[in-house]
Amino acid sequence: MVQARLESPPVIALLAAVGLFLCSLANALSRATLSPSPLIYWLGLLVIALPIFFRLSSPKPSSRERLGLVLLLGLALYCVKVVHDGIYFTFSDEYVHAFNVHQIERYDHLYHFNPAIATSPYYPGLEGATSALTMLTGTSIYVSGTILIGAARLVFMTALFFLFARLSGSARGAGIGVAVYTGTTNFLFWGAQFSYESLSLPLVVVVLMAFVEREEAPAKARGAWTVPIVLAILAITITHHLSSYALAVILVALAVLYRVMKVEKPNPWPFAALAVGAALAWLLIAARSTTGYLFPVLEEAVKAIWKTASGESAPRTLFHQASSASETVASTPLPARALALIAVAVLAAGAFFGLRQIWRGREDRQPMVVIFCLGAIAFFAALTLRFAPAAWETGNRAGGYFFIGLAFVCIYAAADLLRRGPRLIRRRLLLSGALGVVLVGGAISGWPWDIQLARPLQATADGAKIESEPLALAEFARDHLDGSRFAAPESDARVLLEPGGQVAYGGQGPDIEDIVDEEFLAEWQLPLLKDYHLPFVVADRRLISEDTLRGEFFAVRDQYGTDLRGSGVTHKFARIPAGRVWHSGRIVLFNLEDRP
Amino acid sequence: MRGHRDLTRACVAAILCALVAALVPFDLIRLLAALPLTLFLPGYAVVACAFGSQELAPAQRALLSVATSLTILVLGALVLNIFPFGLTTASWAVLLPLVVIAACRGAALRRERPDRAARGNRGISLPRPATGSLVIGVVALAIAVAAVALAQKPLPADDAVGFTALWMLPTDSGEDAVAVGVVSNQHHPTSYRLVVSLGDSQSQTYRVKLDPGEERTYEVDVPPEPDGRTHVVASLYRKQRPDDPYRRVTSWLPRQETLP
Repeated sequence: MVQARLESPPVIALLAAVGLFLCSLANALSRATLSPSPLIYWLGLLVIALPIFFRLSSPKPSSRERLGLVLLLGLALYCVKVVHDGIYFTFSDEYVHAFNVHQIERYDHLYHFNPAIATSPYYPGLEGATSALTMLTGTSIYVSGTILIGAARLVFMTALFFLFARLSGSARGAGIGVAVYTGTTNFLFWGAQFSYESLSLPLVVVVLMAFVEREEAPAKARGAWTVPIVLAILAITITHHLSSYALAVILVALAVLYRVMKVEKPNPWPFAALAVGAALAWLLIAARSTTGYLFPVLEEAVKAIWKTASGESAPRTLFHQASSASETVASTPLPARALALIAVAVLAAGAFFGLRQIWRGREDRQPMVVIFCLGAIAFFAALTLRFAPAAWETGNRAGGYFFIGLAFVCIYAAADLLRRGPRLIRRRLLLSGALGVVLVGGAISGWPWDIQLARPLQATADGAKIESEPLALAEFARDHLDGSRFAAPESDARVLLEPGGQVAYGGQGPDIEDIVDEEFLAEWQLPLLKDYHLPFVVADRRLISEDTLRGEFFAVRDQYGTDLRGSGVTHKFARIPAGRVWHSGRIVLFNLEDRP
Repeated sequence: MRGHRDLTRACVAAILCALVAALVPFDLIRLLAALPLTLFLPGYAVVACAFGSQELAPAQRALLSVATSLTILVLGALVLNIFPFGLTTASWAVLLPLVVIAACRGAALRRERPDRAARGNRGISLPRPATGSLVIGVVALAIAVAAVALAQKPLPADDAVGFTALWMLPTDSGEDAVAVGVVSNQHHPTSYRLVVSLGDSQSQTYRVKLDPGEERTYEVDVPPEPDGRTHVVASLYRKQRPDDPYRRVTSWLPRQETLP
């Protein structure tokens, strides 16, 4: 009786809400610089997920209830990211995409320049869709973007549920498969940010779901399923480069497998041709800069793999949370590292037993199932990329796609574990615990330990609102220097983009990083600023100012953000001499057009 | 569309939502109207058109409606971008109802003649929750809303390092006056002495008392220098160190308009 009550959907929803509140409380205490125990946050995460995992493992719920649980899980975990933010986007890519929306609002057209990621305006799907919401609702880009990505997250969970249910023939298995997917490293934060992949990946899953539904539909109904597939392929093409290439690869592989396996259904080559053609056409017609953006990253990744494998360079240290500014960052504690590694071991066990089950029932194998099995194996291959310094991000990003296959394969391992027999409750508890480990382990691997909890961007003092130095500078620029051009350390450049609304260059392309970080003015630096017409230069003594994940927040005494560069980074511009427009102590804004 | 009540309702809803979103000045009401217009109705209409009379499970229909709406927003932005007027509130408010109406018309043509039984099957039947479940659900919703509200509330953060910023800009393009601003992001009320010097001879002094989060702005006339630019320096001094400038901003007016 008690168990039935605890497993009822309203109680599970209540527990999810309590878990979310615990996460929000941990973030709030962290923003209040009270150094809360991270256990509050992790407990909150488990209070959200474990009751849902346990209920999903039960044979009793209807398909509709399972879908509801999966949606609750997706929404609650998305809200964990939302309560991390507060009132502004704070992830490094979010500033870039929010700036693109800002540009669309300003010019009423797409493709306006973005100094941070020059290729991003040429994939305007997310920003165009968000502009519809901002314009029709009158709300901020943050609110509209949060709603849009929330809708995409719900689409993702539902489509994955239907995809797994159709392929495995089990709603119970589908629910567990989706639960496994929440353990991918990018699910909790990276995949929930306001960025193009957060919209395109759900649409990829929609294409796959619609494709398998189309295959199972009677011949006269197939045309109907073609419409959402075609629309989604086109939308993905103009939303995100990597997603469109991944989808093209999947569809081409399907077309090949249909031929090799002699499947007695129409070969999906037209979809493959559309995906490949659309991606290539968009690359050549609209987004040529993508090659200059993506290929160097992939080239570096390949080189790094080769160097690491040949022993030419040392492997990357796992769980090393490198701050690009070299300020010491709190490292991941040993128990957390152990948990993340146990999560990988659990997934490896799930893959092994799942693949064995699928292999035994090979007469039912479909091309999509084969692709998912290959994806599960590729996931572990991609894990090894984490040891190569320049390849870990490539491996991490690819893992999000491979994990779909791994989650599907794990359904079969879970089915084996939950087969009828004695002590089902214990086995359900074991599975729920394993899923909990996978979720927490994935979250630990996917986001730096020291910023799992929120940092203060705004605070109150005597009842009034005060702001961090970079945010105060951005708001000053927005209010007084509308549309100006800046050179700045990268974290300052991001907040100057949004909410500052300025054209702000940072980083290494062009080499603004050295101009603002070095203590002496080299000969090439002023000409470069002139070439790019950057009259405003932000000189920031904070060592953390080049760190786009940590640099925009308040410095906190005895914790972070207090290490400084030499005073030369500001004096060198004063010696030109150039006008000082804004001065907050550690940040000085110079105007190079203002001089004697 | 006679006889297809869902399609008629979708068209009417799209037009009403577009009108409210485009014309009503209250953001919350606009949000409530724009959400179905952007995230559900276009997809619902296109899916209805694609599937015609074929059966589709309600949950799948809902999924495809939202997913297809997202794709229509993405592709719609591309379409609007072709036109000189581009992406505006008005263009979105026209495009989306047009998509809904056109797709609903197509759906009505593709559907078989509706009869009462078929109409009955199109509805989504939801189980009626028990009172206890409803109460728990409301409590859960309230806790979730509290969690999000807590995240949006700035909190006292005593260990966050506070600061005061000083800025200076010409008041207009004539550059014959400057605005000097002092902004406190400190945790406690603070007092300063602000000295604005104009060239070598003139200066003005202000006593500045600021509460946390407060900003004070001072406008200072800059007399033209007959033989060149006027060097304007604003310096902020703290009470406890009256001789060491705490913040300093500078300008030479009128400014040059070229980079060195």
